[in-house]
Order: sequence, then C-alpha cells, then structure tokens
Amino acid sequence: MEKMNQTIQKTPVFRVLTDQQIEKIYYSALEVLERCGANVFQDEAIELFKNSDAVVRENRVRVPVSLVERALKTYPNKITLKGRNGKRSVALQKDHVYFGTGSDLPFTYDRETGERRRTLYKDIVNAARFVDYLPNYDFFMSHGIVGDAPNPLTYDRHQFMAMLEGCTKPMVVTSVDGEGLEDLWKMACLFQGGEEEFRLNPMFVAYIEPISPLTNDRTAVEKLLFAAEKGIPAMYTPCPSSGATAPATIPGMLVQSLAETLLAVVLCYLKKPGMPLIMGGVTTVMDMRTTTYSYGSPELSLASAANTDISKWLGLLMFSTGGCTDSKTVDEQAAAESTLSVLNAFLSGANLVHDVGYIDSGVNASLESLVMNEEIIGMVRQIGKGINTDPEYLALQLIDEAGPGGEYVTKDHTYEHWREWYFPKLQDRSDWETWCNNGKKTMLDRVKEETHRILDEYEPEPIDDGIRKELKKIIDDAEKRHSK
Amino acid sequence: MAEDLGKIAESLIAGKVEDVDKMTKESLDAGVSAEEVLNKGLIAGMDVVGQRFKAGDMFIPEVLRSAKAMSAGMEHLRPALAESDTKQAGTLVIGTVEGDLHDIGKNLVGMMFEGAGFKVVNLGIDLKPQVFVDAVKEHKPQLLGMSALLTTTMPKMGETINALKEAGVRDQVKIMVGGAPVTEEYAKEIGADLYGANAASSVDKGKAALGL
Ligand code: B1M
Repeated sequence: MEKMNQTIQKTPVFRVLTDQQIEKIYYSALEVLERCGANVFQDEAIELFKNSDAVVRENRVRVPVSLVERALKTYPNKITLKGRNGKRSVALQKDHVYFGTGSDLPFTYDRETGERRRTLYKDIVNAARFVDYLPNYDFFMSHGIVGDAPNPLTYDRHQFMAMLEGCTKPMVVTSVDGEGLEDLWKMACLFQGGEEEFRLNPMFVAYIEPISPLTNDRTAVEKLLFAAEKGIPAMYTPCPSSGATAPATIPGMLVQSLAETLLAVVLCYLKKPGMPLIMGGVTTVMDMRTTTYSYGSPELSLASAANTDISKWLGLLMFSTGGCTDSKTVDEQAAAESTLSVLNAFLSGANLVHDVGYIDSGVNASLESLVMNEEIIGMVRQIGKGINTDPEYLALQLIDEAGPGGEYVTKDHTYEHWREWYFPKLQDRSDWETWCNNGKKTMLDRVKEETHRILDEYEPEPIDDGIRKELKKIIDDAEKRHSK
Repeated sequence: MAEDLGKIAESLIAGKVEDVDKMTKESLDAGVSAEEVLNKGLIAGMDVVGQRFKAGDMFIPEVLRSAKAMSAGMEHLRPALAESDTKQAGTLVIGTVEGDLHDIGKNLVGMMFEGAGFKVVNLGIDLKPQVFVDAVKEHKPQLLGMSALLTTTMPKMGETINALKEAGVRDQVKIMVGGAPVTEEYAKEIGADLYGANAASSVDKGKAALGL
C-alpha cells in the first residue's frame, strides 16, 4: 500500500538562493534601474525609451518598476530549437539542461606542433563535427573565430558557414552587428523553410552582450532590436568581472547584472512584446594576482547557479556557463575546473550551458577539451538521474532471494538494471596489469586517441547542394557590400 | 628627514593615498629635494610593492592603491623634477583601438604605469588612428600604448603605426601593444617596439625600453 503524505524527490534538488534572497536581489536591481539607470548608445533604443515611461537624459536611461514588471510578464517560458537536419532537439524550458560549446576563441591548440596558433575556418568545421558527433553536446557555438576570413566586418557569415558544414544541431551564434545577424538569420531560414517557419522553429539563438557596468553599445543594441523584430531568440548576457567591472561581492555582481538584463527585458518589450529573450550571465571574478577573467573559479559556478535561481523565479530561460578552465592546456586543472562548473550548472537547472571546452581563460580552443568534457557531462548527467525508491528499485524480494552470503551477478534483476549505470568510455577502471599491458595510458592519452579517431572518421550529414549555393550567395553579397 | 621619507614609503606600501599626497607636499615644502623624495620615498615604496606583488604577497587591489598613492605624490614632484632635469618616468598615452570596446586590461595597464611614476593619458576605447596621432603630437609621450582584444581589431594597431609614420611622429615614441589575442610575433610584424603580456610585465618592459 502507498503511504500517505509522501514527497518523492526524483532528481537531486539544488538551490543556492532562497526566494527571499532572490527578492532582495531583484528589488535591488529595480532600485539600480530607477536610481542609476544605464547608458544606451543607440538612437532607435533611445527613441523607444523616450516614448515609454522611462526617463531619458541624453544617453542615460532610467526605468520605473512598473514598466519593468509589465515587460517581464511577456516572455515565453519555452523555446524549442531545431537543427538544420529538422530535429526539434532542444526544448528550452524550466530545469531542462542542455550543453554546448562557447564561441570566438582566437587561438587553437595545434596537435601537430603542440603550440597554439590562430584559429582558422577548418578548425571551426572540426569543432562542429565533434559537437555533432558527441552525444552529450546539444547545441553548438563556433568554439573558435575564423582567423582566415577575408574581412573583419563579414567574418561572422563565414564562421556560420563553417558551423553549418560540420554540425546539424541547434546553434548559438555571434555576429558582427545587426546586418551580420540579419545575414545569419537569412542563411538559417534557408534550412527552416522561411522567416515564418523560423519563428516557430528557430535554428539558433543570437548571442549578444551589454558592457558591464550598465552600458549598452550601438552594435549590441542593434542586434537585440533586430532579433526582437524578427522573433529570433536572443540572449543579452552580461559578462561582469567581480572586482573590476562589478562589485567584488557576488550579490552585488548579481544585482548589477540583473539590472543590465532587466534593461534589455524592457527594451525588447518596447520593440516587440513577447520576443524570445533568454537571460544570461558569465558572472565571475577577476583573479587578483594575474588580472585574468577567470573561467575556472568556484565563484563562476556559485554566481552562475545563483543567477539560474533568479531566472527561474523571474520566469525567464537561462543561458549559463560550464566546462571551461583557466588552464593553458588539457590537464588536471582543466579536468577539475570543468567538472566543477559542469556539475553546478547542471544541478542548478540552467537551460543552455555554454563555453564547454574553453581552455586558457576563453582564449584558446581545444578539441581534446571537448572530448574530455563529453565524459564529464556524461557522469554529471548520471547524477541528475537521481534515486528511484519504487519497490522494483528497493529490491526487497531480491535481497530475500539472494539471502545472506548470496550473489547478485547472475540475477535477472541485475541483468535488467545494470545498464542504467553510467558507462565511461575513456575513464580507466582496469587493474594494474591490464593497464600496464595496454601501454600505461593516462586519461589525456586516451582523450588524444579519441580526438584523432573522431577527426579521421566522423563525417556529418552534408548540406544539400541547392542550399549551399544560396548560402554562398548571401556570403558573396555581404563581401561585395563591404568591399567598397 | 630620511626618516620622514621612510614614512612616505611605508604609507605608499600601505596604500594610504591621502597620507602620501600630504607628506610628499610637506617634504617639498620643508626643502627636501624632489629627487630625494622620489627616490627615497615614492620609488623606495613602490619597489617593495613590486617585489611583494611578484612574490605573491600583495594583490592587484593593494598594488593599485599604492599606484594611486604614487600618482598623487608624483603630481607634486613633476614640476620640480622637470626643473632640476632629474631623470623621471615620462608620459604614457594609452587607448583601445578602433572597433574595440574592451577596456579593463588597458585601464589596468595604465594604472600600473602610474604606479611606476608615469603620467598616464588614457584616451579611452574605439579610437581611430588619427586620435592616437593627435595625442602623440599633443602630449609628446615617451610611450604609446595600444590595446586590442579582438583578432578583428588587431590590424588597427598596424594601421595606427602607419598613420604615425605618415604624420612623421613614429620615431618620437616607443610603441607598446597588448591584449589577449596579441602576441610577441604579431607586435614585431606590425612594427611595434614592445609587446605587453600583462600589466606588471608591461611596466617592466616599458621601463627597460626607456632606460629607467
Ligand atoms: C599598451 O600595451 C598593452 C600592454 C598590455 C596589455 C594591453 C596593452 N592591453 C591588454 N594588455 C595585457 O595586460 C592586461 C592586464 O593584465 C591584460 O588585459 P586583458 O584585457 O587581456 O585582461 C583583462 C584584465 C581581463 N580580461 C578581460 O576583461 C576580457 C575578458 C573576456 C571574457 C571579454 C570580455 C570581458 C568582454 N567582451 Co569580449 N571578452 C573576451 C575576453 C576573453 C579573454 N580571456 O580575454 C574576448 C576578447 N571577447 C571576444 C569577443 C568575441 C567579443 N567580446 C565582446 C564584448 C565583451 C564585453 C563587452 C562583454 C566584455 C568587455 C568589457 C570591458 N569593459 O572591457 C564583443 C566585441 C565588442 C567590441 N566591439 O569590442 C565580442 C565580439 C562578442 C560579441 N560577438 O558580441 C573574444 C575575442 C574574439 C576575437 N575576435 O578575437 C574573447 C577572446 C572571448 C571569446 N572567446 O569569445 C593583458 O592582455
């Protein structure tokens, strides 16, 4: 018989802020917007604010609470992304967690020389192939920045092309400006069956950032307004470094970055209520010995988890960070830091966890890091399965049957359930002799072998020739416009 | 008097900006030479700060406090030092190149140079080559610093160097470049004199290049 008044916890529950703490942070952010406000350097946005209840003095915009709260009510709680292969594989909704790479790394670890060098088009195609192949990755950001594109003002089109070449999964894209985003959107629409279909089945989310503290530059706002107009999902993700561009206290940083987010919440609402805006935040500390913007600090994980708590309370979807490191190479430090942030982001229930695979504090790209994180995410996802306490799982009958001194290896119950465990692919659990006979390989050795294997073997689903031609035309047109 | 100058050094190490400001002025008023205040007070203090920072005993927020104290003291000393022809750290003009909005690193580099006694003119971000050219003409710095955090804006540093050449002022300054995607080789390629990997080492390199 089932017991009355039971509560079952199917998965782990993890929170770092209570509702009351979130309220404090939220009310403080509202105060920031009324008292201090933010700078906005874009004409259309200034006009939109002027025609609203906001108070505008030159470029400084201050927003009343009522307007913020009206705006907050309009955002979707669910956004489903569809890859270029037509699969609606990423359904962003509260507590559904998806992992993906970061973007725009200027350097790439070169496995032939062991040195770092500029990232090239081919490196992005390769990263795309890896993300396409590795099942624990759900979405793709470019990982690197195309260093061999002809023009800095149009590199984003080539970058997106490289991403499409290698990967069929949904994406998060960076762009040069509003015009760049428009081209990427046109390119994506070719796969989605046009603008209207894109609105229902967006292929990507546009990555956009304010400048902490409380500054909104022209190109960022231009992109945001374009996304709002066309119904392109977008995130406006503050990247404060605690102690440098935000208070050195985590709550202070959270207040400021929430104020930055809320300003975008209002702006998008003024442009087009209901546009699919996603909350973001790469909230970390500046290392006070080296000045590095840290991608491996525990504060990154803690502040990000707090931000996710806030996003859920506000009813916004969350773009978060994990799987990254300050280490210059894929080593013990990289493994430790990546694991910590992947685990925390996962447990927090953030929706899009990006920057997986970043090494060297967001400067250097490494396929090896992607492969290692595949294993880390696998383990972490296993934790997320939680504990099932149904009778089949309590296994009373079985314990009775086996009895004192019995065994379980040959039981049907074992045969049926062991596959629910996590099965590592690259981690070694063998005995000493076997390990020696297999060449005493370290985790990194196995990661490298797997990287080579995927590089050699994996072929993604190709792009249809007709679409390829049209993609090329959009890119060529952009080149022409900008060669003048 | 030496004792008083020791106190300036101590206050500077402790990051007491107002005290250093006041004591520097008092020492000058009491007739101590600017050179002595500089060497036995400010620089003596800053040397310790530098050593402690390198040893991991002092951290950026503390170092920048001391740098601010140094800068406050230098305000008083500069006119007298110029008069007495004492060798002193000169002027650094620094900015982030066109199309680039990153400024944290550039600002930190500037502050650290202030800590080394430089007068620092921080031009800001997103600066056209001409702005650097004009600033070199106006401030006549010994050192010009350019920061770029994007591979897409790095070429602007080379363009700026060319603009300085065209304006005939390239040889009046040493040029230092830095920022996350910038490398030593790249600095050479575009004809810069110095590459700065981080704020602290940039100051060391800058001073060495100017023979300080
Ligand atoms: C004169 O002599 C010298 C000597 C030494 C010098 C020097 C000059 N300048 C610097 N140094 C050296 O000394 C300093 C102190 O020790 C050091 O300075 P740093 O600036 O390196 O160090 C700082 C103290 C801490 N570091 C930082 O502050 C930079 C951190 C990272 C994460 C970063 C941040 C924070 C930001 N970003 Co941007 N950002 C990244 C950065 C990744 C990284 N790790 O570098 C980088 C540089 N960003 C990038 C990108 C893509 C972008 N960012 C953008 C925007 C921003 C923010 C506004 C959000 C913010 C900057 C806020 C600000 N006020 O500066 C966008 C561009 C905006 C623009 N037009 O400039 C945007 C294009 C994103 C987008 N698509 O919208 C990438 C570069 C890609 C490329 N093309 O090369 C990037 C490597 C991150 C990434 N992997 O995506 C040294 O480099």
